[in-house]
Amino acid sequence: MGRSPAPAFRPGKLIFRVTGQVSVIDYIIRRVLLNILVLWMVATLVFAALRVLPGNYAVAQFAGANLGGVTPEAIANAEKELGLDKPVTTQYRDFMWNTIRLDLGDSFRTKRSVWSELRDAFPYSAELAFLIVLVGFGVAVPVGILSAVNQDKWPDYVLRGIAIGALAAPVFWTASIAVSIVLAFDLFKIDVIGQPHLWDDPIGALKWYLIPMFAGGLASTANTMRVLRSQMLEVLRDDYIRTARAKGLNERSVVMRHALRNALLPVLTVMGLTVATIVGSQIVLEQMFNIPGIGRLLFTSIFLRDYPLTQGLVLLTTFVIVSTNLAVDVLYGYLDPRVRLA
Amino acid sequence: MSDAAATALDAGIRVRPTGLARFRQNFFRFLVRKRLGALGLFIAIFFIIMALFAPVLSRYDTERVFDSENPNFKTNPSIVDLARDPNIGSPRIVASYESPNAEHWFGTDSVGRDIYARVIYGSQLSLIVGFGASLIAVFFGLILGVVSGYYRGWIDLILQRFVDALQAFPALVLLLLLVQIAEPSVRNTVIALGIVGVPVSTRLVRSTVFSVSSTDYVSAARATGATDLRIMFRHILPNIASVVLITFSIGIGAYILFEATISFLGVGPRNVVSWGKMVQEGRASIESHPWLSVFAGGGIALLVVGFNFLGDALRDVLDPRLGRG
Repeated sequence: MGRSPAPAFRPGKLIFRVTGQVSVIDYIIRRVLLNILVLWMVATLVFAALRVLPGNYAVAQFAGANLGGVTPEAIANAEKELGLDKPVTTQYRDFMWNTIRLDLGDSFRTKRSVWSELRDAFPYSAELAFLIVLVGFGVAVPVGILSAVNQDKWPDYVLRGIAIGALAAPVFWTASIAVSIVLAFDLFKIDVIGQPHLWDDPIGALKWYLIPMFAGGLASTANTMRVLRSQMLEVLRDDYIRTARAKGLNERSVVMRHALRNALLPVLTVMGLTVATIVGSQIVLEQMFNIPGIGRLLFTSIFLRDYPLTQGLVLLTTFVIVSTNLAVDVLYGYLDPRVRLA
Repeated sequence: MSDAAATALDAGIRVRPTGLARFRQNFFRFLVRKRLGALGLFIAIFFIIMALFAPVLSRYDTERVFDSENPNFKTNPSIVDLARDPNIGSPRIVASYESPNAEHWFGTDSVGRDIYARVIYGSQLSLIVGFGASLIAVFFGLILGVVSGYYRGWIDLILQRFVDALQAFPALVLLLLLVQIAEPSVRNTVIALGIVGVPVSTRLVRSTVFSVSSTDYVSAARATGATDLRIMFRHILPNIASVVLITFSIGIGAYILFEATISFLGVGPRNVVSWGKMVQEGRASIESHPWLSVFAGGGIALLVVGFNFLGDALRDVLDPRLGRG
């Protein structure tokens, strides 16, 4: 086939559907552009959703005060102060322009910048997320291996049963039950003073995080464990495993050194996808355990119709999710040269 | 080929049952081969019966407040007695926080309502939400997925970016925004959950439509001049039926969990009995009276396990290619 005539401008071809081999740099650039597009759409979506929600901060503030002073003038003044009197199109344009300059505005409630709210809340959520992933992975890997090695024997059934149960049980329920067990048997005192970070007061912080991290971790285990199990089953049937066994290697090193390393790769992808689920768990767990992280902040800011804060938090969470997925995909190609990025 | 012709052709080789008999045969094979799926089906039917016959099974009204004799009752209590126990002057008091007994199988909650009755009625909301939201998600997922997968090109590109955005949006956050747009009724909750489910169902349908629309019989249909609509309805839809069924069944558990979560957070549907809300109500007294949380949360977990088993088994049987991912 001869060269096609000079192509018309087709962003579709340029950004989204490059065929043939792609270099890693090209791939990353393309994905970053896509992610920016997604972030823009999410920003628009959250902007629109917030404006559609009945009531706004100015009204909520006065309705909350409820001292009989809710005059239309007072609300109008408050709206003017918050910039809510401008037409929606102007608000949207300002929001977009400021976001591009990485200015997320000030929270309606605290009057502090969204960035400083984030700076306070983010470490808590990051700690909890890290611990949740740690528990999730720490449980999923041994369970997945045991389950695969004992395929269709009773440990497999029991472990899989528990994993599916953990997936089905609501995280707030497991957390509640855990609290009641800890209290009933007086396992340890949840006498946390203040809101310690792991690096300030490791013991205190761990006491505080213990139940939420296990509740959240267990909920995220099931998917990882199932993928690891099926990957292990597949890998264990491969020729090089037979070779390893034929060489006389003991079963332990066959499983741990030969099979596991290859089976772990796809698990990475699931871990990436789990981040989105963890965000959901965190809203619930931070709310339950009074952890002043992103999840709780997001929940209250939606409630209070704190537009700039909600917008900023949603954008940040989405950014973390899409970036994690991108990082996972790139890492995946790096760890497994057989995978061609496309 | 008509059914009659197919039967006639087959007759010489092997008599294949048709219609109801064939369904029955497949159904029993499913039950035998997929034990967990059968268990899931059993659990689902158990809860469906529970929901349908709730008025018969529940024994009491969900809102009835029970009272019991006041053991400390004193006629003409002194002011000192009243200061110690404000209820001392009433012969009967609200029977709150009773442990499970013959009268109240699961005990009573903080305001003296029968937990058993409330757990039974709670199944109604969970099932309505699960089926309703899944139906909405599949309906719109089907439209978007078929259009996107069939036309491809620009339509696909734009639709999929939209789906990307919806998917990147943390589901619970989207839900928290959506449920507050309109009044928190059951109907609006179902709609909000359905919208949250649209991206996933669109993706599943679209990828199947991709493979179906590149088959020879679709090309043949196109060559004979069939219109796009006709191809979609006559050739593509029947061939993605199994994926549609899988998408429908696999989401139910997740919607039930989501409803429980938002009810737990206090933004669920109002004026109905919800398991999630019950777990929340039980938290205040979880040390001394865990029954409310235990039974309501157990209901959620069991129902979701049931639908997950069923969905997984259906997926394995109907479309092994989709599986295990």
